[in-house]
Amino acid sequence: MSRKQRALSLAVWLFPLIAFILSLSIGVVHIPPSAVFRSLLSPIIPSLKKGLEDFLPIVLAIRLPRLLLALMAGASLSVSGASLQALSKNPLVNEYILGISSGAAFGASLSIVFLGRSFPPQISAFLFAVIAVLLVLFFSRNSNSPIVSLLLTGIIVSAFFSALLSLVEFFASPYTLQGLFYWLMGNLGWPGWKDLSVSLPLMAVGTAGLILMRWRMNVLSMSEEEAKSLGVNIGAEKLLVIFLATLATSAVTSVAGIVGWVGLIVPHLVRMMFGVDNRRVIPLSAALGAGYLLLADDLARGLASSFEIPVGIFTSLIGIPFFIILLKKSRKIWL
Amino acid sequence: MNVRIKDLRYDYRNFSLHVQNLRFESAQVTSIVGPNGAGKTTLLKCVGAILSVAEGSLFIDGRDMAGLPPVERAKLIAYVPQEHSLAFNYAVQDFVLMGRAAYIPIFSTPSDADIRIALEALEYVGLRRYASRPYFELSSGERRLVLIARALAQKSDILILDEPTSFLDPKHETELLNLVKRLAAEKKKTVLVTLHDLDMAAEYSDVMIFMKKGGIVACGRPDDILTESLLETVYEIKMNIIRHDGRRFIVK
Repeated sequence: MSRKQRALSLAVWLFPLIAFILSLSIGVVHIPPSAVFRSLLSPIIPSLKKGLEDFLPIVLAIRLPRLLLALMAGASLSVSGASLQALSKNPLVNEYILGISSGAAFGASLSIVFLGRSFPPQISAFLFAVIAVLLVLFFSRNSNSPIVSLLLTGIIVSAFFSALLSLVEFFASPYTLQGLFYWLMGNLGWPGWKDLSVSLPLMAVGTAGLILMRWRMNVLSMSEEEAKSLGVNIGAEKLLVIFLATLATSAVTSVAGIVGWVGLIVPHLVRMMFGVDNRRVIPLSAALGAGYLLLADDLARGLASSFEIPVGIFTSLIGIPFFIILLKKSRKIWL
Repeated sequence: MNVRIKDLRYDYRNFSLHVQNLRFESAQVTSIVGPNGAGKTTLLKCVGAILSVAEGSLFIDGRDMAGLPPVERAKLIAYVPQEHSLAFNYAVQDFVLMGRAAYIPIFSTPSDADIRIALEALEYVGLRRYASRPYFELSSGERRLVLIARALAQKSDILILDEPTSFLDPKHETELLNLVKRLAAEKKKTVLVTLHDLDMAAEYSDVMIFMKKGGIVACGRPDDILTESLLETVYEIKMNIIRHDGRRFIVK
């Protein structure tokens, strides 16, 4: 890494931290950063609580879970995206294209509508996300033009699960439907500590596993024949990456709905800054993704004071034009 | 290390490879020649374990290769493919480093020792100065060398190269074959290579294998087996072998 890149990587690592502190203080109620610090430390040092009675519940019960979710969801989606891009040897792939998002959305909705809110939707979300991604990989294999085939198969499988999702919505009560609808648009405002206590560990396991495999991802981005001759047990390791990425992504979808395109933009920005070596791309994607989603969520809850715009709308509005630009340029860069 | 093939069969659609008995010795370059579709690449892929072979048909130093896990195999055999596509533009050094995959646990990253081995491999093929260059900036000749460096980083005793000289100009072709010869002579590797150019194959190999329609037609030292009648049998066209100044030329 050059000196410039080293400075840049430090900035990327500090970005989510600074964004986190700032985001705790902004919102409908403005809380000065010093009060934020004291509130955060108050569970450890009780004497700090004095004079914070108004702020404490806002910081600890409302904003902290939401920001933690934004950080972890951003990191999970970005790391999963970077890993799936390496695995499918295709820098344009993301969890949306591979059908993971729609599979998980269908699975979670199915669980919420038929098993109720008290049953954790993560299980069914994970199950159907795995089915979706395996279907996409199965139907797009052995093609002459793997990139086009993967994108097309992804669209078809996503459409299939969207149709199933509509079917579930058809059977949902109007009250549940309204909740589902808002949640599916991608929303970080819904969870309490109970939802997070299931989803955050799943995200952490998936993301940590992928970060540990960061160098292996380079080898997995070689053609299957090459990877095999380099000593990779390709079938097992491919499944492991898909398992970890789907675990993290479906855990995000279960609590936050479809937050699209983060997994595409963030790894790309990192590759533009630091090159394609996954030893750097994957950890830095975690940091940048965490900060990126946090800022997007600040925007979602800060733009209007009386209502919130779902964050998934923002990430898609930023992500889709970005994707089109990349698609246009990709021939020159990668082929 | 020596490679021994015993009654190896591989069937794919309407093509069938059958090799009764074959040995490749260490510190020797063995070249496989023959017309298109003779099964040269298939044989290489069987030996390189890209294609799986039946039990009791392929042995390395007496050890049956069938069922050996990829990570163990990769320490014995390195395979340099003919066709090769790359989705991401890795730096040359990072690319060569992937040759260490068999020695690095799945949840781990390369050590300084691994990086040193990768750089030594690059040094050996003469591209140390390109270590931090992006792979896509290299010429096709340089890319072949980088692929060979990656195979060297694998530290295997057996090296398999599929058509390493295709699309290379005469200068790069000669340089590459000199390198291949050095690998056998200096590093005592068992080198197995497919070639199209018969002159080059005869000049650079210790042993030549002629293949046709999925079988072995002849095998031996070029001086012993290379005759006009053999060439006609294998390629089905008339060829002449002309000797001049102590060198041998094959003319169609």
